Amino acid sequence: MTIDQPPTAPRPELNRRNLMKASGLAGLGLSLAACGRGFGGGGEGGDGTELNMVWWGDSKRAEKTRAALDLFEEAHSGVTIKTEYQDSGPYQDKLATRFAAGDEPDLMAMRMDSLREYADRGALLDLNEHADAVDLSGLSENARNLATVGDSVFGVPAGLNAIGFIVNRTVTDRYGIEIPDGDTWSWDDLAAFAKEVTDASGGEVYGTGFEPATLANIVVYTRQRGEDFFTEDGELGITAETVQAWFEMVEAMRQEGGFPPAGFFEQIGGGPEQSYIATGDLASQIIPTNNFLGYNQAAGGNLALLRIPGETQGVRRGQSVDCPHLWSIAAESEHKDEALQLLDFLVNDVDASKATGTTRGVPADSEVAEELKPSLEPDDQVATEYLIGLLGEDLPRSYTYPPGGSAIADALAAIAVEVEFGRQSAADGAAEFISQAEEALAQ
Amino acid sequence: MSITLRSSRPAPPRSSDDEDTRLERFGSTRRSRFTRHMILCLVGAFMMYPLVWMLSSSLKPNSLIFSDLSLWPTEWDLGNYAEGWTALPYDFTVYFVNSLVIVALSIIGNLLSCSLAAYGFARLDFTGRKLFFALMLGTMMLPGHVLLVPQYILFAKLGWLNTYYPLLVPNFLATNAFYIFLMVQFMRALPRELDDAARIDGCGPFRTFWRIIMPLSLPAFATTAIFTFISVWNEFFGPLLYLTDPELYTVPLALRQFVDSEGQSQWGQMFAMSVLSLAPIVGFFIAGQKYLVKGIATTGLK
Amino acid sequence: MTAPTDATTVREAVPASAAPRRFTVRGPGRERRRRRRDRAGYLFLLPWFIGMLFTIVPFFASLYLAFTDYNLLNDPKWIGLENFAEMFRDENLHQALKVTFIYSFVSVPLSLAAALGVAMVLNRGIRALPVYRAVFYLPSLLGASVAVVLLWRYIFGLDGIVNGFLGWFGIDGPAWTSDPDYALTTLIILHVWTFGSPMVIFLAGLRQIPAMYYEAAAVDGASKWRRFRSITLPLLSPIIFFNLIQSLIASFQTFTQGFVMNNGGGGPANSTLFYNLYLYQQGFNQFHMGYASAMAWTLLVIIAAFTALTFFTAKYWVHYDN
Repeated sequence: MTIDQPPTAPRPELNRRNLMKASGLAGLGLSLAACGRGFGGGGEGGDGTELNMVWWGDSKRAEKTRAALDLFEEAHSGVTIKTEYQDSGPYQDKLATRFAAGDEPDLMAMRMDSLREYADRGALLDLNEHADAVDLSGLSENARNLATVGDSVFGVPAGLNAIGFIVNRTVTDRYGIEIPDGDTWSWDDLAAFAKEVTDASGGEVYGTGFEPATLANIVVYTRQRGEDFFTEDGELGITAETVQAWFEMVEAMRQEGGFPPAGFFEQIGGGPEQSYIATGDLASQIIPTNNFLGYNQAAGGNLALLRIPGETQGVRRGQSVDCPHLWSIAAESEHKDEALQLLDFLVNDVDASKATGTTRGVPADSEVAEELKPSLEPDDQVATEYLIGLLGEDLPRSYTYPPGGSAIADALAAIAVEVEFGRQSAADGAAEFISQAEEALAQ
Repeated sequence: MSITLRSSRPAPPRSSDDEDTRLERFGSTRRSRFTRHMILCLVGAFMMYPLVWMLSSSLKPNSLIFSDLSLWPTEWDLGNYAEGWTALPYDFTVYFVNSLVIVALSIIGNLLSCSLAAYGFARLDFTGRKLFFALMLGTMMLPGHVLLVPQYILFAKLGWLNTYYPLLVPNFLATNAFYIFLMVQFMRALPRELDDAARIDGCGPFRTFWRIIMPLSLPAFATTAIFTFISVWNEFFGPLLYLTDPELYTVPLALRQFVDSEGQSQWGQMFAMSVLSLAPIVGFFIAGQKYLVKGIATTGLK
Repeated sequence: MTAPTDATTVREAVPASAAPRRFTVRGPGRERRRRRRDRAGYLFLLPWFIGMLFTIVPFFASLYLAFTDYNLLNDPKWIGLENFAEMFRDENLHQALKVTFIYSFVSVPLSLAAALGVAMVLNRGIRALPVYRAVFYLPSLLGASVAVVLLWRYIFGLDGIVNGFLGWFGIDGPAWTSDPDYALTTLIILHVWTFGSPMVIFLAGLRQIPAMYYEAAAVDGASKWRRFRSITLPLLSPIIFFNLIQSLIASFQTFTQGFVMNNGGGGPANSTLFYNLYLYQQGFNQFHMGYASAMAWTLLVIIAAFTALTFFTAKYWVHYDN
């Protein structure tokens, strides 16, 4: 049996050869069109230092950030900054993978709830050891504490935010309902207001609605009751009684009709445009203040921004200043000095902040924030003033999420739904949450 | 039983559509045909819905996408297409070309390497065949997430980060067990007599593969090509991990940049570009589907 | 059977019933034949062998990690079987197994039946067939882009079109995606809806069945059902087998659907916490990559067992031509 022999076997002629020729040609043509992009062409930049900086967000945020980085590159010849950004979910995955492979970026955006996952394992640079390189003196204590673990500081807030209560004035005006005083209202006031809206609209509009499982929301309530959700040593501080009271409060509002029925909030995510406040089904809800602009535009531009209820009736203040986005430097960065320089620039340079605006929240440095304010859009000014107000107040310190925090958030989300649908009582749900959360922290 | 392989050269030029029309007329009443088409159209409307919805959303101004719920836009805005095309750091031309290069090469790679392996598994006998086959199936069964980190390290060591190699080279090395298994099943279904006849006529395994099995497996090749196109075109995670420079980005990576979970998103532009990104897959499927049906039944093994 | 005049014909090349299937040469040449036979096989598999290097290294790396405590950032620490012991205690994992099993055993048969049914209808010869085929395949083309997520919300929302439709009949529809009693059902419906891929494979397979069988059966006056039972099913069985194995493996590894449902959370109330989703949470959100690897290898064993079972039964219902 030799292969050389001419075939006497039947030769079914098909378009195979033409097909393959065509596809080969198409592939070749496309490769040429791509000019060898992606096939290892192009050099490794030139001389000088190349910093790698990554964050999450969309192309608009990237444009603003790039403008600030251009200013830095102009002032520091020899340093180029290679940037990359993704949507927040994929960003987390890629960051973790890069760290695992020892291919981490120099400067990166870090989420509050994953800060200690990285910091506790020695992956991030302790900024306290480089205190002379990055000037943090302009930051309020609240802001500086956000990324403090023990005696170390592992990040600087790229911007500050808080949560706030938005109320749609168009809806309240339509039904002639007065909005309570946002600085002094209590949770009972909220319940009464919500019921009034629902009743007045004949059930067309629900008075209020928010996710009881969102950690930021329950944290404020917990602090008002004199407890810390997470304590200073990374333990669970919230008690079962508080969880139960929180669930019961929401369920009571639901019973009265002020709060939407179970299942109202979709499990599939959405932004301001798809929120119920924008569609007119809801008169008020809780949002992160840095999203105020987006919600106000989506909801017709007549939103009021109130504080969270219960701030003057509780054992102590509940609200805190948070940040959606920290800047951290990798401990193994090969260009620490340049990365520190860039970090200092981003925090303290007014022009840098003017370029980025409030895309990551209000600048952490209070002076910079004041200088930035006049150049902001009116909606941004509302949120900025709200936050600057909080910054000047005496708020109890909040503590960084311990590792395992994301498992706790998942557990709360699952149990809150059980309670919402009446599959579990508030008391049982609270007890189960505490036991699951403690288990998650023990791991 | 006799084996006849009819050359397609002299076959009357009859498109499969004509054949289908002829077949449909044969042995069914007009009424039953009508009912059948009615049912198919109804189901079809249900299947078409997502595309129609995306198309309609892409034609609405950003402010109306979530408030105007009708499928027929009350206000038309074609600007989403023009603006969306240039809204990102690079034009979508770049992303489309990148995606097409990767897809075209992946298809060639999968077809070549998987069909070779499949022929080996399906129609040759050699020591360790069953073991290797089990091993191949086994590679399909491990969840990919735990392979990401070791794979990333491997490709980083090879210096392949920020190139297309991690996305392409594995396709030329038959790493996608799904397609091998698919082709194996198709090749095993072909009559054994073909090989025996070829062998008696003096064909070695390569010639048998190239001249007989490959042409007869055209539907399997078409299926592989179509599936490869769809999965590579839609793939998000691989390009996300391995590509850094935005000028290397593929279409799915680019689409994600319209969306920001923290602020306002350019929904209209995102929908417009999503619709455009579907065009190549739909086009490829429509162009490729006639090969799907070129099985033995139509190429004339009787 | 007459061959077309201009066709090359190999008449009575091999008596079908007695055709030698394998090389059955005995004697001294046997070893040499075997070696040559092996060499041909290995040559065809050469790309695959090289490719296995890319696969097998990460594969065994993850097997090693399954016995370690590995948080992605520090070096893995060997802890023996601890991860596997933890899996027995982990209630979320048990929930994930339950969700995955229900999903697989309901959605796989449903979607395969739908795919085969539609493929049969489309294969019978029908006008505008390419159009129908493309249309039925559309939902499978969409992938899991952001646009598709928004679409689901729009269809299955509390005031989405499904509930709008039910409203015509006076039915007050549930919260399809946020009610823990319905969320998994919703995902199963969505899965069945994307029956396009198995359908395409069935269609290709149906065209592999020589038309002469049907013609002969028609001459014998066999009923439609009888033709389906005696010709279509047996001759399509290798393809059915492929689709079954493939769908099983894919459904055990379902990830995207659950991921999209609740921004990766597996909610409501863990009712869509697929095994692979929980594995991902453990590995990438909670940095328990060692545990995630142990979960992955456990899933591999589970899938392998079901696949082996299917292979074992295959000899009773899958017919190859030999």
